[in-house]
Amino acid sequence: MNNGKLKIGIYELTGCAGDALLILDCEKELLDIFKAVDIQSFLMASSDNRDGKLDIALVEGSVSTEREIEELKDIRERAEIVIAIGLCATVGGIQARFTDPNEWKKKYKEVYGDIEMTHTKPVQSKPIDAYIKVDYYLPGCPIGKEQFLDLFTRAVKGTLPERYPRPVCVTCKYNENDCLLNKGIPCLGPLTADGCGSICPNHNVPCFGCWGPVEGANLTSEYYLLKEKGFDIESIKKRMANYSGTKLIDFLKQFKKESK
Amino acid sequence: MKIVKLKEANLHSFLEEISKEADLWAPVKAAPDRYKFEFIQDLNKIDTDCTRTILPPRKILLPPSINMFQASEKEYKEDFSHVSKKIIFGIHPCDIHGILIMDDFFSHEFYDPYYMESRKNTLLLGHSCWPDENCLCKSTRTHIIKEGYDLFFSKLKERYIVWIGSSKGDDLIRTKANLFEEDISDKDIKEYAEWCDQREKAFQTEINFDALGDLMELMYNDPLWEELGNACLACGSCSNVCPTCNCYNVADRPALEKKYSDIKRCWDACTLESYSEVAGGENFRKKRADRLKLFYTHKFQAYISKYGKPACVGCGRCVATCPVDINVKTVGKSLDGEKVDAFWKRLSKEVTK
Amino acid sequence: MNSENKANQTENPFLPEPARIVRTCHLTEDVKFFQVRIADMEKALSFRYRIGQFAMISVLGAGEAPFSISSTPSRPGLLEFCIRKTGLVTDALFGLKENDMIGIRGPYGNGFPVEQMKGKDILIIMGGLGAAPLRSVLLYCLDNRDQFGRVILLHGAKRPAEMLLIEEFLSLKEREDLECLLSVDQDDTGKWTENIGVVTTLFPKIKNINPSTTYSMVCGPPVMYKFVLNELLKFNIPKDQILMTLERRMKCGIGKCGHCAIGYLYTCLDGPVFTYWDVIHMRELI
Repeated sequence: MNNGKLKIGIYELTGCAGDALLILDCEKELLDIFKAVDIQSFLMASSDNRDGKLDIALVEGSVSTEREIEELKDIRERAEIVIAIGLCATVGGIQARFTDPNEWKKKYKEVYGDIEMTHTKPVQSKPIDAYIKVDYYLPGCPIGKEQFLDLFTRAVKGTLPERYPRPVCVTCKYNENDCLLNKGIPCLGPLTADGCGSICPNHNVPCFGCWGPVEGANLTSEYYLLKEKGFDIESIKKRMANYSGTKLIDFLKQFKKESK
Repeated sequence: MKIVKLKEANLHSFLEEISKEADLWAPVKAAPDRYKFEFIQDLNKIDTDCTRTILPPRKILLPPSINMFQASEKEYKEDFSHVSKKIIFGIHPCDIHGILIMDDFFSHEFYDPYYMESRKNTLLLGHSCWPDENCLCKSTRTHIIKEGYDLFFSKLKERYIVWIGSSKGDDLIRTKANLFEEDISDKDIKEYAEWCDQREKAFQTEINFDALGDLMELMYNDPLWEELGNACLACGSCSNVCPTCNCYNVADRPALEKKYSDIKRCWDACTLESYSEVAGGENFRKKRADRLKLFYTHKFQAYISKYGKPACVGCGRCVATCPVDINVKTVGKSLDGEKVDAFWKRLSKEVTK
Repeated sequence: MNSENKANQTENPFLPEPARIVRTCHLTEDVKFFQVRIADMEKALSFRYRIGQFAMISVLGAGEAPFSISSTPSRPGLLEFCIRKTGLVTDALFGLKENDMIGIRGPYGNGFPVEQMKGKDILIIMGGLGAAPLRSVLLYCLDNRDQFGRVILLHGAKRPAEMLLIEEFLSLKEREDLECLLSVDQDDTGKWTENIGVVTTLFPKIKNINPSTTYSMVCGPPVMYKFVLNELLKFNIPKDQILMTLERRMKCGIGKCGHCAIGYLYTCLDGPVFTYWDVIHMRELI
């Protein structure tokens, strides 16, 4: 059953499966999606999954066990193109926020004590590009319908969309919001990948960065700006660390020095 | 010039009449802290006390995203669905100047039908305004407007002096001619003269724009640009709120099933990271300082070289918007050698500490 | 409206003209040659362009990008392009076969100042993919050989396998009215009989340059410019007779999208050909 259609696999590692759910939520387009491609594996949608060669693999979730490392490497070997979808796969997600390996071990012990995991060995959570080469990143928590369909359609046609990283501020301005930072509200819009439609600032709620850090974000400037507005270092750090996974480790370390 | 008078109480009847034939857009108080231009369905929402809207009225002519073509293998079908008959009421002199600059730009050498068709179908009904501390239009000489509008409403006590700037503007007046009075009294003239006089004095900020082009050249390698680059959040807001920013990006959005694609045109901003990135990954302006240099070259220098006037119309939107105080006011003043109090200045002291 | 509308208002300048790929072949591992004909025969013949101009090529669903025209206006009807696989549009182009359709619009840009170059000596220096725009100049000069003085070509590539149109250039060596000097940085074939070394090592072989009557054209990878320009200045060639053609991000080709802006210039309108003086004057060019 191939008919020259592209073979696609959709995989979920550690995460809330929200991105896979969003794909299923594209109700209007779902029939077209299934018609256009040959879905080989999609655990949330099908019980008949195969592990063969793939043209495109969409991977959600972070890597947090040794078994997932193996699974991921296997996906990479089978797939022409690997696309990371969602916050956890692209930056590591909330579960990757304890960035220091020693800190992670400590926290792990606090939660699980000395219980021996027999099923598979847990490892510190990381985004998928910590283990494999990723061809395209689709941020989001969860991913946006529009961006997903755009990416998916273009991937099926053989040309990925143009890379165009931009911060939440771009859409926020299109929505004609008055900048929250100017009112002393600690908004992370300038540091965060766009695509959510700036829903939080639209309701006067500051962006807390759930789509992950945008490429080229000016962390230093935002940090000093928030500091000048009277926020204490620990709270700024927490805010920035919440959704940045492993991507801001170096920057946050530098912070740490300062707070001591 | 033909000038008529309109009682303030009659404004809505007039607007109601003309909005039968075209979409009426006007400033609306969207929240306690902000105004924006909106498509008007309820005339009572129009707020003429507005100093500035968040986005300039160019969004009405060319929205952030339009479709250029519905393209298939057989043909590229032009999509002009963003074009409709429109009237923009309540637009201030600086924004009219902004639109005139866009008119020049989009018809220069090559004619851009996506902007121009929209523009041809739009009438501009200007409205007088009062400056706040961020208005720089007196320095850019765009605080007054002599031509380019169809009608211009100068507000006096309980009445308007209405300047008719075009034949189409005159046609609008004729749709409800009985609302307008022909004779302007000495009292009107005196009140208008006094208003002008007081408004001239109300401007709080002055920048010498004539010198900025040369200063840009002389200070091309000045540490100022590094200071600005260090603070810039690269959020693109200065471009998005600027009445004369025109950059855009184009992307194909193919359909899943057929050999068909929409070709989308979206606003772009030169201060964004990937603005000058070419295929293969080389980025000609990887540094924020270089991107800001391009932005300010265009506002202070480039248009003067090409069109004889700066591309800044002094609307003050970048001043009101930029969270790190990088704006025409602070950059212009710094180039002029004045000391400014701005976050980017304070940051440079902080990081060199 | 108070603006002067000299521009043509009836045609949509963004509308691509359907064109057919007549011939395509690999030049190197990542560079392909495309010979293209505009489907409408009349339009194909009336597509007038100058050497050094470029065209916007589009692939449905993938996008549009600018490419220098590698053919010469002295041979109308067919357009030729040398295209490196570097991005989304080129990826899609590489997937197309002969007889497939693409979109073309143009020609755009200033091109080389042919009128000023007539009667002068022509020194062409190309490196790598720089052969794409400069091949147009070379073929034009050879087709109109009596209109130019000496024609000298320096062509450099990393390895023989990376020299674009290598057979075409090797065959040109036989011409007596062309001084054709080829060089590779390293020869991994053992069969290379021409010069070995970077393109600047060819300069000592050029004799008796008359700087005031020489126009030089340079195109190649960014690292090449500094060294080549240095050599040309040693020859005392005036700065405004040293011409180069540049690459920038472009989304429209007609001075609207803003991406190719350099100061008050637009690469698509005021370039892509700039003089060395422009480069010094504009600072941001290279």
